Formats: sequence, C-alpha cells, structure tokens
Amino acid sequence: MRVEAGRGQARAAGAPATRAQRAAVGRSYGEQALPWLWVLPALALVLLFTIYPVAHTLWTSLHRVMILFPGEPFVGLANYRAALGSAFFVTALLNSLWFTLIAAPLIVLLGLGVAHLLLAEFRGRFLVRSVVILPWVLPGAISAVIWIWIFHPSWGILNLVLYELGLIERYVPWLTDPSLVRMSVIVAHVWTQFPFAAVLLMAALTAIDPQLYEAAKIDGAGRWQRFTFVTFPQIKAMVVVLLVYGALVAFTSYDLVYAMTAGGPGTATTLLSFQIWRESFSMYNFGNGAAIAFVTVLISLGFILAIVKALPSDLFGDADA
Amino acid sequence: MPEGARLSRPLIYLAALCLFAFSAGPVFLSFLGSVIPDQALFSFPADWFGRGFTFDNYRYIFTGELPRSYEIRGANRGMISDAARQVPGSMVNSMVVALAVMAVNVVLGAPAAYAFARMRFHGRTLAFMAIVLSRLVPAVALAVPFYLLIQAMGLLGTKTALILVHSVLTLPFTVLILSVFFRRIPTEIEDAAIVDGCNRLQLFLRIVLPLSLPSLAATGLFAFMLSYAEFLFALVLSGDAANRPLSVVMASLARNVDVSWGILNSAIFLAVLPSVVLVAIVWRFIVEGILVGGVKG
Repeated sequence: MRVEAGRGQARAAGAPATRAQRAAVGRSYGEQALPWLWVLPALALVLLFTIYPVAHTLWTSLHRVMILFPGEPFVGLANYRAALGSAFFVTALLNSLWFTLIAAPLIVLLGLGVAHLLLAEFRGRFLVRSVVILPWVLPGAISAVIWIWIFHPSWGILNLVLYELGLIERYVPWLTDPSLVRMSVIVAHVWTQFPFAAVLLMAALTAIDPQLYEAAKIDGAGRWQRFTFVTFPQIKAMVVVLLVYGALVAFTSYDLVYAMTAGGPGTATTLLSFQIWRESFSMYNFGNGAAIAFVTVLISLGFILAIVKALPSDLFGDADA
Repeated sequence: MPEGARLSRPLIYLAALCLFAFSAGPVFLSFLGSVIPDQALFSFPADWFGRGFTFDNYRYIFTGELPRSYEIRGANRGMISDAARQVPGSMVNSMVVALAVMAVNVVLGAPAAYAFARMRFHGRTLAFMAIVLSRLVPAVALAVPFYLLIQAMGLLGTKTALILVHSVLTLPFTVLILSVFFRRIPTEIEDAAIVDGCNRLQLFLRIVLPLSLPSLAATGLFAFMLSYAEFLFALVLSGDAANRPLSVVMASLARNVDVSWGILNSAIFLAVLPSVVLVAIVWRFIVEGILVGGVKG
C-alpha cells in the first residue's frame, strides 16, 4: 500500500475511519458487489479474441503450414530455427529494437514537455491546446502521405524550405539514404504518438496536490528537486503505462512506416511486423510467420518487465490505497 | 498549479510556436495542397500562389463533376480516379464503427477498471494481466486467426466485425489507463459515500463516474481515434465498398497513381474534418475538466 504524503495528512485531519473499519466496510460491500460481474464482460470479450488466436498462432508455429504443400505436419521447432536463422529476421529485429528504444522514450519525454507547456499560462494557449492532438487523429495512411510530401527527396517541403533559406546546397535524400530514413520515420512516428502521451500526462500532472509543492518549497527544494521528488513519483504510474504502450506500439508498428518507405531503401526500415507479413503472405509460409510472431511476443514481454522493474509503481501491484 | 507555469515568458511563447507549427503545420500543408492547382505546386522555381486557388477537387469528390484541370486540352492533364468518390461514404462508415467502439470501451472498460482499482477478489491480478498482456501479440500475426474467428461467427464484411475487433484492441489500454485514474480518486470521498449508505453500484455511478468524466472522455477519444485510424483489420475484415472504412479507402487512394495530388489532399483534408470536430467538442471538455481538477477531489 502506497499512500502519498499529502493524502495521508488529509485523512489524518479529516477522516476518523480507522484502517480496520475501512477494511471491514470494504469486505462487506466487496462481497455484495460480486467483483467478477464488473470484470467479466470486458474480460470475456478480450479472452474470446485472445485465447483462440494465440493458440492458433502457437499451433501454426509448430507445424509446416504452407499453401503450396498439402498437409500440415508437425515439425517441432523447425520453423523457429528457419525463421530466426535468416538474415532478414536479424535485420528486422535490430531495426525494430532500434526504432522502439528511441521512439518510446522520446514520445514520453516530448509528451511530458508538451504537457508542462500546455499547463502554463500564455496568450493563445487554447488555440495551441486545440491543435496539439491533430497528429494523433489521422489514420496512418494519411500521416504517411503528408510526411512523404515533407521528406520527399525531390519535391519535399523540407528540402524546398531548407534550400530557399540557403541552409543546404543540394536536396537531402531524407527517404532514400539508409541512415537518414531511420530518423525520418521516427520523426513521423513520434509526431503521430506524442499527443496521446501529452494528454494523459497533463491529466496526471493536474492531479498532483499543490500542497506537496508548497511543502517542498518550504523545505528548500529547487526546481529539479521538486521534479524528481514530488512530480515524478506522482506521475510514475502514468509514465509506466505510456512507456509500455509506446514500446508495444513501436515494436509491433506496421502501417505508418510501411506506407512511408515499404521497408526500404533495401531493408533499412524493415520492421518485425513486415517480416511476419512477408513470411506469411508473400512466401505463404505461415509457420515461419507465426514463429517470428511468438518471438516478438516474448521480446515485448521482456520490454514490459524491464519497464515495470526499472520504474516500480503501484500499477500492477496489490495497492488499493 | 504544476511547475510548467513557472517558465520564463519568451521561452514559453517560442516553445508554443514550435509546438503549434509541429502539430498543425503538416495538416495545413495538406489543405494548401488541396486548393492549389497541381501545376503551381510542382512548378520550379516554386511559385505556389501564382495560379490562384481552386475548390474543384472537393466538388469532384461530392458531385462527380470533373475538375477543370482535367478538361484542359493539351495541357498536363490532372489525373483522376473514381476511388476518391468513396471518401464521404467511407467516412460515415468509420465514424459509426468508431463511435460504437468508444461506447463499448466506456461501458465495458470502466466497470472493469474500477473493479481492478478498488475491489479485492481472487484472481484479480491474473485477470488484469490477462487483459493487459493480450495486446502483446503483433496485430499482423492475428490477421489470420481473427479472420477465421469472424468467419465462424458469420460476420465477415460487416461493421459489427470491425466494432468487435477494434474493441478488443482498445479495451486493454482503456482498462489500464482508467484504473490508474480511478486509483487516484481519494478514498475519503468513497468512504463517505459508503457511510451515507451507498452501495458499490451507486457509488460507482453517482460518485466515481462523475468525478472521472474528463479521463473517461480522454479514453473514449483514444478508442475512437484508434478505431478511426486502424488499417490492417479494416482491410482484412471489411467487405464490399458499402461497408469499407476510411483508412482502407485512403490507403488505396494514396497508392493509386491515377489520383492527382490535389484530389489526394482534398480527401485527406475531408478525412481529418470529423476528427477535428470531435476533438473541438470533447477536447475542450477534457482540458477544462482536467484543469478544474476533477480528479483531485
């Protein structure tokens, strides 16, 4: 049980209920309300669309499932060996890891900065607040078209502007140079994802008790100390949620990057999802595709565990304070 | 008030300007692209505003009347495709699906999130993990089993199929986010309501939900947006043109080399409009609610 200082004080001052009484109340109405009834509709829907697909994928990954060959014999781990041993897989894995490790933290950091900015008082802030979530509401195919137009090597806006300003001598190949293109797709991806992080972090920031800042100030804490000791612990659960969400979205991303580059040039922006797609729907080797999918699940799980371990919060714990 | 309020003035305005340009700039570009004739857009040296503005592309999408650039003989003809005319209808399809997904998320997600945040029962952590971890499997790998499942239910090509699948994709995050918000409601408020004789359901409906309206709206908006923008399952599960959602139509337009740049940009700008309207309505409500400190209690 984690009770924040401010809340604890408020309770001591105003609420006479002892812990034992509260626990007793909790037990009695908890039992009446049949908690499972509250959870079951959502759980049932999610499980219906999880258990069968996961079982299907697992089964496929252990059998030779190819459209061209009749029969679907059990092949053990052969699909895993074949899929994981290919150079394409290693490239895709590295691309996806790289993409995720940069994009997910960047989204949260940018979201945090934007959330702070939008909470500040300034003229015209309502206008800025209104347009800030525009990027988030566009379908990936649309964002891709817009960002292709911006980054296009021969008629892109970015090159046009930089050239007119005299900052570049010749047009930069934003989408056709293997190292530049990785940066370009991350900019586009972050653009589509940061508003959501900003919205949730704004909500988390405003929920902080202002008395905590007063107390910290009286104790002589500077701005950075106030952030690390007051702000961050209070928004940590939300930061964890956003990092987990950001990592999952980036690691399994497909539409935006694919629409922008089709995985190229070469294999520079081929992510794991394209590799699964290619094995399954271009090579018609569904077994290999499923094997890569399962490896992706394991790595995603690793991401989540790492994030939750690195930033302990009450999110998955037993804390019903 | 959080710490953001204490930055220096010029810095705030500079940052706000950058943020404004970064968020709205690309969308504004697509509006410009829709009203500036293609010839002006691709002229070299660049002369975007020398040929005036045209709304022919929008007229074509709604009425089927060909843009003038298409009629000019001998000139560099604008390209055209009938696919652009599917945009308005597909927008309606996508909005119907997305609104339904939003409703499913709030109606099923909020009670579940509340139970996870506040009730103790056997298997709670397991159930929570099952819901949250269900999203670990890459969507690409789910395409085939989801297709088989929807086929077995006899729902292929229907809007119901998309509503189901999009709800499954969004519910885990709705539950996760709402349970973070619900946990932050001070327990004193709930205890007081219990002492006053509220049961769990009354407490939830009369105290918890009203207090959480901004966060409910935020997660509802999240569900709407994800569904409105989702492409893969929309492509695999949607059937004939009558039920096709916007993301599929837009993706095919974007790849269709017969579609002129002006028409593509007009379609993009149209596609953005409903989200902008929704955002203008719901977003104001969320921001105001957040700032009044609804969650603070």
